Amino acid sequence: MTRNLRIPGIVRGSRIQFFFNGREITAFKGETVLAALMAAGIKTLGVDPHGKGRGALCGMGVCYQCRVSIDGRPGRRACMAQVRAGMVIETEKDLP
Amino acid sequence: MSSHADVVVISAGIIGASVAWHLSEKKVDVLVLDKSDPCSGTSGACDGMVFLQSKKPGVHLAMAMAGRHRFDNLARELDAEIELRCRGGIMAVTSAAELAAVTRFIQEQNRAGLGVSLLDARQARDLEPCLSTDIFAATFCPLDAQVNPIYLTLAFLDAARRHGAKVLSRTPVMDIRITPRGVYAIDTPRSIIETRTIVNAAGVHAPEIGKMVGLEIPITPRRGQILVTGPMPPLLSRCLISAGYVAAKYDPDIAGTGSMGISIEQTARGNFLLGTTREFAGFDTTASLTAAKKILSRTQAVIPGLANARLIRTFAGLRPFTPDGLPILGHVSSRPGFIMAAGHEGDGIALSPVTGQIIAELITGTTPGISLTPFHLERFFRGTVS
Amino acid sequence: MIFKKRCDVAIVGGGVCGLAAAATLADQKLDVLVLDENRYLGGQVLRSLPWPGNASGIHKIFRSRPRLVDKTATPSVTILNHTQVMGIDKDLEILAEKDRKEIIGIRPQMVLAATGARETFVPFPGWTLPGVMAAGGVQTLMKGAGVLPGQYMVVAGMGPFLTAVAGLFLKNKGMPTAILDFGKRADTCRLLVHGFRQGAKILEGVRNLTGIFLAGVPCRYRTMVVAAQGSRELEKVVAARVDSLGRIIGGTGKTYKTGCLATGWGFVPNLELPMQAGCSLTHDPDLGGWVVAVTHDFETSIPGIFAAGEITGIAGASISMIEGELAALGILKKLGRNVDVHRMAALQRQRKQSLSFSTWFNRLHRVPDAVFCAIPDTVLICRCEHITMGEIKTAVEKGYDTPAMLKKVLRCGMGLCQGRTCGPVVNRILAALTRRSAEAFPVLPVRTPVKQVSVRSFLR
Repeated sequence: MTRNLRIPGIVRGSRIQFFFNGREITAFKGETVLAALMAAGIKTLGVDPHGKGRGALCGMGVCYQCRVSIDGRPGRRACMAQVRAGMVIETEKDLP
Repeated sequence: MSSHADVVVISAGIIGASVAWHLSEKKVDVLVLDKSDPCSGTSGACDGMVFLQSKKPGVHLAMAMAGRHRFDNLARELDAEIELRCRGGIMAVTSAAELAAVTRFIQEQNRAGLGVSLLDARQARDLEPCLSTDIFAATFCPLDAQVNPIYLTLAFLDAARRHGAKVLSRTPVMDIRITPRGVYAIDTPRSIIETRTIVNAAGVHAPEIGKMVGLEIPITPRRGQILVTGPMPPLLSRCLISAGYVAAKYDPDIAGTGSMGISIEQTARGNFLLGTTREFAGFDTTASLTAAKKILSRTQAVIPGLANARLIRTFAGLRPFTPDGLPILGHVSSRPGFIMAAGHEGDGIALSPVTGQIIAELITGTTPGISLTPFHLERFFRGTVS
Repeated sequence: MIFKKRCDVAIVGGGVCGLAAAATLADQKLDVLVLDENRYLGGQVLRSLPWPGNASGIHKIFRSRPRLVDKTATPSVTILNHTQVMGIDKDLEILAEKDRKEIIGIRPQMVLAATGARETFVPFPGWTLPGVMAAGGVQTLMKGAGVLPGQYMVVAGMGPFLTAVAGLFLKNKGMPTAILDFGKRADTCRLLVHGFRQGAKILEGVRNLTGIFLAGVPCRYRTMVVAAQGSRELEKVVAARVDSLGRIIGGTGKTYKTGCLATGWGFVPNLELPMQAGCSLTHDPDLGGWVVAVTHDFETSIPGIFAAGEITGIAGASISMIEGELAALGILKKLGRNVDVHRMAALQRQRKQSLSFSTWFNRLHRVPDAVFCAIPDTVLICRCEHITMGEIKTAVEKGYDTPAMLKKVLRCGMGLCQGRTCGPVVNRILAALTRRSAEAFPVLPVRTPVKQVSVRSFLR
């Protein structure tokens, strides 16, 4: 990423680390998984049955397009889940 | 405005659709009327099991067996995707008491030639590794199958249309009269339709149609709730019922063991359909969370992996229940030209091809391959004058 | 089930409407329970950063949040956040999944449904590419987490919400590439003139427009996205000028390089819970189409269930707040409490006044049917079940021209979101293709759970 996508001048929670597809990513306590991933420049959250990427749409828990596997639990909405230290997040391949 | 059809089929559920297709194939001029849209009643709110094991030995099982082979070529005949999967079906046995009753039940089925085998717990899990280690035993019948009931209903109708059948949706039958010329006149909001032959395939609404010609038809709606999970990776490749399902349906021997019947299938898309309740609650199709909880705890006990599923939807269908568990088929002697094809309760999908075939044979003057006497409406008014 | 709780009033939805109601009921010392799916109260409008110490927040439109949230911080109001309501039974018992792990039962005397609204869309080729987001989703990201969706962003769709999102982005050092509005430039002017009576909101609008103008962000009117393109994620947006029916004007195509596209076409009510509960709907094209039918006191057709806010008509946050208070007064009346009738009358007057603006606003921003007819055949309409416009057209030609039949034939709306995203779009497409009024197409029935829950929660 060329630039930090976190808006400067905001008091945030404590710094934590989590994993996305094996890659270690820094986030702040209190952020949603979606916010933490978007801030790291990650937009592709899953793979559709045709092999195409799938990303967040509504950002408010309605469309279920941002689902990811969190700590082995499939189908969690990234926009509604809060990021936690050590969380293991993985993209899912959708069933045909 | 008035029009004419040789045969009018009332309702475009799976039975009406099958009857229409079989008739249209024999070049009969057929018109299907539905008060709503096709497949919007029971046939659109059920699972897709074509289960033979669940049929009581006797005429019911005989009919199901006679009709089973029809499924094998159905997709080709209808030229449609019906998501038919013929991998057999399993009945899970969860206690020794159930086992004793089930053993007797399948002995009778095997005498009728169904070919059901009894598996011990390990053999059952070899077949379906997702089964719980608490399973006591299981039975397996290779003839059991699965189909998409909605696709099948619509495929019957599409094929019927291609053969010239007419389908009028959102056209309720308001009244049926007999004209001075001795034919039936069917009143609908659009037109009056004259016909010599009416097929009452209105399922749970068949009694309303019966009343219009002065017949009392003993069909009552029996609600079955089904839960739908989100799509999951392939876990269960055969359809499954519990021994309690057969009990809940009709066998007092198994009913005594106190278990509730469950049915489980994983659809072609990957969703699980989990059922089912059998409740008499009129025409109320609300689904309750209390029932959902019961169904989930009982199905998950059989397939522990269901704990990882997400419940995305529930629905409830009204099964057309008859007092003796058999459908009502064939002519009604006091009403020439009025033919019954309703009351299949939970067997409508499995019996749809054979029912359509029999009714079409009856109308075109061929003797059906199965005696219809046990299925006649008259069996219910023995001793009374109609 | 972990616990069963009794209360006087259960409010589903902790947005402006629900909170205004809770505050009013708390004044009367009623035992109130507020259930919300989110971790923080405030809903979409009052969404703010989760961390203390960011006093002013990054948005300034609604300063009422602290007041509303403070007012509900009394012992008589219990907040159940992170709680997904599954349904309301016939005896008004509410079942919900708390913290994704347990099922709770609530037995209130009265229920207020204040479930708000969600965004709706006009699908276009490539709208499923990662990087294409709802305008509201982008706003949520900025307001609720202080994160920009990217360095650059195209904002496209219709109406002043686009400039609101672009303005917020710009204020936080993002660079809007362009704003593409299907509406006419003259509509924006009319809105400014008409809206002066609306006070603070219009000031915010003027401020946004000024900022956008000063930053030199191109604002294109009567312009639509023709396609979003990119090999794996969004890389560029192709747009073109269109006529009032959404037909592309040849030779006006323009390509914008961007990794983020925010698209917004207005809002539709979240009707799932009231529908599951059996509440009757009514159709009002000027207030968002199908909405919950309510009495003067905001009671639905199911006695004891009240509904207020966006689900009774898309009309904006200030009306939602008024309606929340009015519904609370209606509930108090029904419970036999003394109600300040003057306050009620004053609120009703305020509401009526604001509502005429909302109606005018909605009419101005109504997307013509022709736009839905013009969606190319390859565009995905139902994302969950991968149903394209072409498949829908073929089904309609075969006579499967109702939402219920499309669901049966194509599985349209049968997926994980249960038709929340495609449902309102499909209804507009059907109306457009069959040249019938949207009223001819009922909303699909809803049964419990109104949103998916984990099987594991049931087993605990």
